[in-house]
Amino acid sequence: MSTGIPGWVPVEHRWFGLDRRQMKPALFVLVVALLLIYGWPALNAIVPWDNPTKVGDVLDLGDGATAVPPVGWQLEDGALVSDRTGVSATNDNVKLVKAGTTIQMTGAAFNGTAAQFLDQVISSEDPDADISDTPATFTTTSGLVGVVRSASGTGGDELLAAFKMSRTEPAAAPALLVEVAAVPGEFQQVSSEVDTFLRSITSGANE
Amino acid sequence: MTVTISTAKNAQLEAIDESGWGAPFKFFQPHNPAFWVYVIGVGAGALGMIKYFGPALGGTYRLAVTSGIVFFGIYLIPWLIFLRRQNRYTAQPGRLLATGFVWGAVAATFWIALPANTALLEIWTKLLGPTGASTWAAGLSAPIDEEWSKALGLILLIALAPRLIRSAYDGFIVGAFIGLGFQVSEDVLYAYNNATSSFGVGQLESSLFILAIRGFVGITSHALFSAIFCAGVMWVLGRAPGERRVGRGILACLAAMCLHFAWDDASGLFGWSTFLVVVGPYLILMPLAIATLLVVRRLASAKERAWMRELLAPEVETGVIDAPLLDAVSGLHKDRRHFGKLVHSRHRARHLVESAGDLAQEIAAAGGQETPRVAHARAEVLRLRRT
Repeated sequence: MSTGIPGWVPVEHRWFGLDRRQMKPALFVLVVALLLIYGWPALNAIVPWDNPTKVGDVLDLGDGATAVPPVGWQLEDGALVSDRTGVSATNDNVKLVKAGTTIQMTGAAFNGTAAQFLDQVISSEDPDADISDTPATFTTTSGLVGVVRSASGTGGDELLAAFKMSRTEPAAAPALLVEVAAVPGEFQQVSSEVDTFLRSITSGANE
Repeated sequence: MTVTISTAKNAQLEAIDESGWGAPFKFFQPHNPAFWVYVIGVGAGALGMIKYFGPALGGTYRLAVTSGIVFFGIYLIPWLIFLRRQNRYTAQPGRLLATGFVWGAVAATFWIALPANTALLEIWTKLLGPTGASTWAAGLSAPIDEEWSKALGLILLIALAPRLIRSAYDGFIVGAFIGLGFQVSEDVLYAYNNATSSFGVGQLESSLFILAIRGFVGITSHALFSAIFCAGVMWVLGRAPGERRVGRGILACLAAMCLHFAWDDASGLFGWSTFLVVVGPYLILMPLAIATLLVVRRLASAKERAWMRELLAPEVETGVIDAPLLDAVSGLHKDRRHFGKLVHSRHRARHLVESAGDLAQEIAAAGGQETPRVAHARAEVLRLRRT
């Protein structure tokens, strides 16, 4: 039978008041946990992105909706039409990155107009953000009408564009949010590429 | 006769010592380094949790988070009742299981798995491309980060309660509670994330949707994976005499990780058939996971059942407990069902089995000595046997 008072550490097993016998499992847990928490991010930091967009690439936004990405940007999230993966228009995510600029596209289910959707996005994300009061209308080459608002600050420039992905029945159609964020001084360099990209958005073959 | 009783009594004392049954669990152990690692893990996890949910609780997504907490809090109740029933034989104290649950809910999720998964998912996206990653990255990340982050809780609990966690079945039960904590915490996180994907529109409906989806698939989720994985860890460690089975332990750990992988990447595995993408997880993976769990539970309980028999052997010799009742209290589900048929009443059988379990617990708590509580538990068994 085991003897002794629970919690009493014999003197020969003490190290700065701690029980040396339990040091091994405690250190094992600490080391494995730290490896998982910091090891993967460290490895991630040294593995480079290598998925640049090429001429002829077309992004699949679900339900036949598409967009043509600017060439040479890193496609970090999202599917191309050629991948044939079956994208959901209400659950779509696309991320394009070039230097200090990021384009993030998010599909969502929303009943209402593009302007109402953009208001909902702004109020849910940061109601106090310094975003221009007057949304501007933006029409893509295919005739899809959306709204655009922008913001500038010491952290950089931001552009928000919202679309309802149907020209005929926009109220019940899936919504698409495009967020462009650029570090200070970067937006001017990519503005024409962003403009071309936004204009390339189509609402699908069935429209 | 005297020699036989003495042998049975010695075996009983040995079983009490080996199983650690009846040993108290004290959480606050400042002399134990494992206690401080636990405190660091849960503390950092709690900070991560506040960082993640804090802005939501004070802003747009308050309803999603609070409804998620309420819904999954209620969802937890049947799980706790179910797992309490599994915590049989040399049962673990509630405080130890609660300590495991908190590790799973706070430290394993928000301290380890969240940052680890974020980084590993991005690594897979870089290596496989966004399309390949959307199919395979979750299954190639979660079984590594999440099974390990939960099992680390078991290692800490062994260091905090070395006498209590001895057998593979102890790992099975503690693992299930750690996994349940992880599962519920992840469910609340999913309720919040789903609300953010619709930018805060219809938050209550969103939480109900997540409850329906995650509640059902939760049957074969983290509690199950961790129970299998942690039983495997215990077989590898071999903390009970004769229970060191490294090969079996590694197989159990791999089985848990493979099931986790298959569940997360079902769309990739069944990608060749649209029908199977929809029904494969429920018609193939769910039964496979439950079958694996039952096999592991059966194998893991062997030592505990043997201890239970040794604990009650002196009571059999004195006639307090008869052989069929001993088989039932130390046996599997089929033994208890057989006992129910034998006494012609499932109700009475359940009472008898429970009272025999009480007697075993009191004997263990008293270290095999005669105490008023042992005498009372014995009298209860005899009273129920007479009715």
